[in-house]
Amino acid sequence: MSFSRRNFLIATGVAAAAGSVLTACSSGDSSGGSSGGKQEAAKAQTTTVKIGTAEDSKGPAPEVSGAKKGGKVYLLNDDDFSHLDPQRVYYAWNSLAVIVINRALTGYKIADDGSQTLVGDLATDTGTMKDGGKTWSFTLKDGVKWEDGSDVTVDDVRHGFERAFASYITEGAMYVQSWLTGSTDYRKSYSGPYSGKHLKSITTSGKTITFHLSEARPDFNYVVAMQTYAPTPVKHDTKQNYDKKPFSNGPYKVKSHDTDKSMVLVRNEHWDASTDPIRNAYPDEFDFSFGIEQLTAIDRLLADSGNDQYAVSWRTIPQERVQKAQTDAKDRIFQGLSSGVSLYWINTTRITDKDVREAIIKAWPTAAIRQLQGGSVRGDYATGVMSPLVAGYKSQDVWGKLKNPAGDPAAAKKILEKAGKTGAKVVYAYQQDPTQAKIKVVVENALKAAGFDVVSKGIDSTTWYDQTGKIANPYDIYWGGWSSDWPTGYSVFQPLFDSKAIADGGSNYSHLKDPAVDAAIKAATAETDNDKANAMWAALDKQVTETGAFIPDVYMRRLYLHGSKLGNVKMDPNFDGCMLYKLYVKA
Amino acid sequence: MFRFLVRRILGAVITLFIISAITFMLFYAVPRDPARMACGKLCTPETLQLIRHNMGIDEALPVQYWHWITGIFLGREYPGFGHCNAPCLGYSFVNREPVLSTIADRFPTTVSLALGSAVVFLIFGIGTGMLAAVKQGKALDKIASSASLVASSMQIYFVGPLALYFLVYQFHILDQPSYNSFLGDPLSWANGLLVPWLVLALIWTANYTRMTRSQLVETLTEDYVRTARAKGMSRRNVFFRFAWRGAMAPIVTIFGIDLGTLLGGAMITEYTFSLQGIGLLSVKSVQTNDLPMLLGIMVITSSFVVIANIIVDAVYGLIDPRIRLA
Repeated sequence: MSFSRRNFLIATGVAAAAGSVLTACSSGDSSGGSSGGKQEAAKAQTTTVKIGTAEDSKGPAPEVSGAKKGGKVYLLNDDDFSHLDPQRVYYAWNSLAVIVINRALTGYKIADDGSQTLVGDLATDTGTMKDGGKTWSFTLKDGVKWEDGSDVTVDDVRHGFERAFASYITEGAMYVQSWLTGSTDYRKSYSGPYSGKHLKSITTSGKTITFHLSEARPDFNYVVAMQTYAPTPVKHDTKQNYDKKPFSNGPYKVKSHDTDKSMVLVRNEHWDASTDPIRNAYPDEFDFSFGIEQLTAIDRLLADSGNDQYAVSWRTIPQERVQKAQTDAKDRIFQGLSSGVSLYWINTTRITDKDVREAIIKAWPTAAIRQLQGGSVRGDYATGVMSPLVAGYKSQDVWGKLKNPAGDPAAAKKILEKAGKTGAKVVYAYQQDPTQAKIKVVVENALKAAGFDVVSKGIDSTTWYDQTGKIANPYDIYWGGWSSDWPTGYSVFQPLFDSKAIADGGSNYSHLKDPAVDAAIKAATAETDNDKANAMWAALDKQVTETGAFIPDVYMRRLYLHGSKLGNVKMDPNFDGCMLYKLYVKA
Repeated sequence: MFRFLVRRILGAVITLFIISAITFMLFYAVPRDPARMACGKLCTPETLQLIRHNMGIDEALPVQYWHWITGIFLGREYPGFGHCNAPCLGYSFVNREPVLSTIADRFPTTVSLALGSAVVFLIFGIGTGMLAAVKQGKALDKIASSASLVASSMQIYFVGPLALYFLVYQFHILDQPSYNSFLGDPLSWANGLLVPWLVLALIWTANYTRMTRSQLVETLTEDYVRTARAKGMSRRNVFFRFAWRGAMAPIVTIFGIDLGTLLGGAMITEYTFSLQGIGLLSVKSVQTNDLPMLLGIMVITSSFVVIANIIVDAVYGLIDPRIRLA
């Protein structure tokens, strides 16, 4: 579910689509949404991911009306997947593909209306919690097999967790490794399974695996749905080479993979649909072509001829083709709200006066910025940092951005005058590309009108995170994007606002160091009642917004296109792209 | 000739060494950290250091360069990727494949694009230029000159999408551009590259038409040409035995440089038509901070330009007897 740095570098500001949170996920909904001052997010529906029962965790997945098995689907993508090795998979666009190859302990069962239920995928249910969230046990289902017909065992599951500690695995998520060892420098405690040693904090018995965590993690069953924690077969672990051709326990296996050129997935005949409550797996084959530029892919899909009638774009529709797609291929668009939130960080190390931060936020020209990035298709106006897709989301509008997304430089000027800071210097960092250059002008005008002395500094997009990620960076305001790694508040608020995350290259980009926020994060993390925890995260969204550590921008949207011979093409609300395991080839 | 070649090859080696050193220092010394990009959004200092070690970029720049140079001759061990056999130009930070094998994999696409389009633009460019020179001042000359002026002012990023839209998407006259191995299926190889060839050739043909015409017009007014005609040599003989050879020398020089450039990757063409060649690889490598790949591409493409220049210099004397190699 992660917002990829790479995606950002390649295509910051890609346009997405409008529509409501749940219904817009389906193919054919191409409502454009309004622009200007109206707020779509106010209408957005919150999605509380339900925690399913053992019954919910049984397969097969509910049939899709009108779907049938067979056929070949073509995927047009500009880049090859950065990783296929489950322990190295972190970013959403990799997870989208790998989810049909690897199954994890838990997963999300997505209904036709877009609602989600956390269910046991390899496990019989969503796990059993003890010790207030410090101990978790999962029991494996019967009949789950690898592509060679051998059983997926608890040893394989443990091996997946343990090899995440290996020195060559540096890209996946790191949450569980830290909780299993009690340290962020977890490799000092355990160097991986290749020396023949196992982690003491994981125990196995029969078909049950138990995790003994160093801290209470009541949402651990969400965390193990991440691909990083999917099993890897002990007997078929080829270490670094596993990334090129992983061993499958899902409905499809890798038939061939020509790096940067193509990949073919075919059916894994040992996958048993009756064990899988999530995946339908209708097509017989998926053919991925890499190196197809975003614009070329969309032009081919718009032309809709030959094999492209059976194709899907892996990247969003670029801004310059949105209108054409909405006119010429309305019934072939699939879209939805992404888990990504766009915002602008205010460096609290440099701008320590909250009144000054408030004046910046009040003056900020959110509406004009959104318009320059495609208008309503870019996203819904955000009011906080918590996406409407995160459990417990509650609409709030601390800064009145819904009423006045255009910004109010006059009101900001008054705040600045009252604080005696008129003429305060602010340094705005922007990445050097044509769209951001236009945004820079809009921002400069708004802040100058509010009485600020604005200095803009361009940064090469390839060094963006290097420059803005330093504690001692010389910038006051800079863009940022974030999406949760699982749909609860922890992976939003802990990385972004916990004072422990302030470091060079750290994820607390605003450098907010607020004891009250730290305490609230700690309390919400330890809360074992899901409903209460969700409410606490929602309250934190308001609390961190009030600190003025960031300027909410938009809850991002995504807009994709598919060929006319495919049915039930929907957007995965967690991974922001096409759900391969739900679509089917029409007759 | 032998002394000339030895001297030029030695010079080429030194040139390439200097290019590699400057490129290495330029790319690796800039304030960007490829490890940071690979580290994920929840990067810790320990993980960042481990990635730098795995990538082989945790040492001083001169040491890194020394390892890179020795890797070419002896191969090299990368903690995060494994062993890279000689000649090793490093491992890609992005696709984790050896740089040289990736470049070798993309090279046939670029060669096919370059040579195919070169054949088209040489035949049509030089042919039209010759006709225009022969018919100087007449309607044919004026049409050819005007058309070449228009065509040479066009750009791939304009003509390419237009060609795709009309020839491929709208009227389905030609196939979607793609690369298929010539050895596997020559017909689909040619079919897949026809649109890029035509587009690339359209622009380059115009350049060669203009160049050929002006060179020939100039040569045809030379004293030795007039003398040959005065001695009774036929117009055709004078044109092909004297004027054409004299005019070709600078064209061959330019073609050598152009071919070297094309072999180095026609970036915009490959990008426009989504052809997985050296040009597209360069663009992607810049976008993803893939320093080893960029360095490898720079060295290989520089080699093409240097080698093409040596060949052109050697061929020079054969075309124009007035030029002697020393």
